[in-house]
Amino acid sequence: MAANVLYRWTRDLHLYLGLFLSPFVLMFAVSTMLLNHGWKPNAVTVRRGVFKNLVVPADFERLQGADRIRAARQILVQLGVSGEIDFIRVLPKENRILIPVIKPGEEATVTLNLQTRDATVDVDEKGFGEALVYLHKWPGPHNVNVRGNWGYMRPWRWLADATVYLILFVSASGVYLWLFLPAERRLGIGLTAAGCLSCVGMVYALVHG
Amino acid sequence: MPSFTDNVARWNRRLHYYVGLYLLALVWLFSLTGLLLNHQWGFADFWPGRNVTTFERSFEPLRGARELERAADLLRQLDISGEIGATTTRAPAEFEVQVTRPGTTFQIEADLVRLQASVQRTSVNHWGIFRTLHTFSGMPRAAAASERDWLPTKIWSVLMDVVSLGLIFLVLSSLYMWWALRTKRVAGFVALALGIVSCGFFVVGLRVLL
Repeated sequence: MAANVLYRWTRDLHLYLGLFLSPFVLMFAVSTMLLNHGWKPNAVTVRRGVFKNLVVPADFERLQGADRIRAARQILVQLGVSGEIDFIRVLPKENRILIPVIKPGEEATVTLNLQTRDATVDVDEKGFGEALVYLHKWPGPHNVNVRGNWGYMRPWRWLADATVYLILFVSASGVYLWLFLPAERRLGIGLTAAGCLSCVGMVYALVHG
Repeated sequence: MPSFTDNVARWNRRLHYYVGLYLLALVWLFSLTGLLLNHQWGFADFWPGRNVTTFERSFEPLRGARELERAADLLRQLDISGEIGATTTRAPAEFEVQVTRPGTTFQIEADLVRLQASVQRTSVNHWGIFRTLHTFSGMPRAAAASERDWLPTKIWSVLMDVVSLGLIFLVLSSLYMWWALRTKRVAGFVALALGIVSCGFFVVGLRVLL
C-alpha cells in the first residue's frame, strides 16, 4: 500500500517536475551544442548614442567592488542603459572607463571619458543563440564579486541551481519507475552500464591521455 | 494487431527509458560539474593547491609545414598528450605551445636552434579535474580558426552532442507521453507553462521587456 502511494507520487512528480523543467533542459542542451562547436553570434550594432555633461561620481576610477558598481549604475541611469554590468575597466592613460552591460542576447558598451564627462553607448544585438549561451554560462566562476549586480539576473542563479537539482530528482525518479518494469530490466541495466562505461572511459582517456 | 499510433507510443516510451538510462551517468556528471562552476565552495577550491613542475628535454628538428603540425611533432617527441590550445612563434628560433587536458596544463617553450624544450607542467587535484570536464571541449570561443587535434577531445565533443541531442529527445518524448494522459493534461499544462514563462522571461523577456 505504502509502496503504491510512493510509486504514484514519484510518477506524478516525475511528470510534472519534468514538464516544468523541459524548457530549461532544451535551453541548456541547445546552448551546449552552440558552445561545443565554437558558435559565434552575428552582432549587429542597433543603437549608438553620445551623451554629454554627465554627473560622474567622485573618484569613480579609484572605487572598488560594490562601491564601483553603485557608481557605474549612477552613470547608466543617466544614459538609460540597464542590464548586468559584466566588468568595469579603467583605462588610466586614456582617462576613460569601459563598462560592458549585458542583457541575454544584447550588449551595450559604455565608454566614459572622465575628463570631458562624455559617454558613448554602442548597443549590439546578439540574438537568441547568444542569449542561450550567456544564460548557460551565468553566473559562472569569473568576476564572482560583481555577479548579480542587476536585480533581474539574480533569480537566474536560483533557477540554474534548481535546474540541476530537478534534473537529479527527475533522473533518479526515472530509475525508480524503471525498476517497476521487469520486462525492460535487462536491457536497461545494459544501457546504464554502457552509459557509465562511456562516461568513466572518456574521463580516464581525457585525464590520463 | 496494434495500430500505428500504439506502436509509436510504445516505442516512444521505450526509447525514453533507454536514452534516459544510457545518459544517466553523463547527465549527472554535467549537472554536478555545472553546480561546482556556479558556486565557489571552499572544499572544491583547487587552484591554491596546484602542483607546478618544470623540466627540460632535447628534441629533434620539428617536421611539418603548419605550426599545428610542428607542435604535434614536438608533443610526440616529448611524450606529452593533450589538446593543443595555442601555438606561438615568438622569434625565428622560439616556439611556444600550450597543451591542456582536464587536470593538467603544459606550457612548452622550445628553442629551435639549441633543440631544447623547457616544459612547465601544472596539475590540479580531483576537484579541478571534475570542474574542467564541464568546459573542456577543445573549442575556445575566442579562437575562430581553432580545430580539435586530440582524439579524446574529438570523442568527448561528440559525446557532448550526444548528451544534448539525447536530452532534447527526452523532452520531446515526455511531451508526447504526457499528451496521451488525458487526466493529467491540465495540471501538466500548468507545470509546462510555468517552466516556459520562467525560462522565457530570461531568454527573451529581459531583452524585450526591460
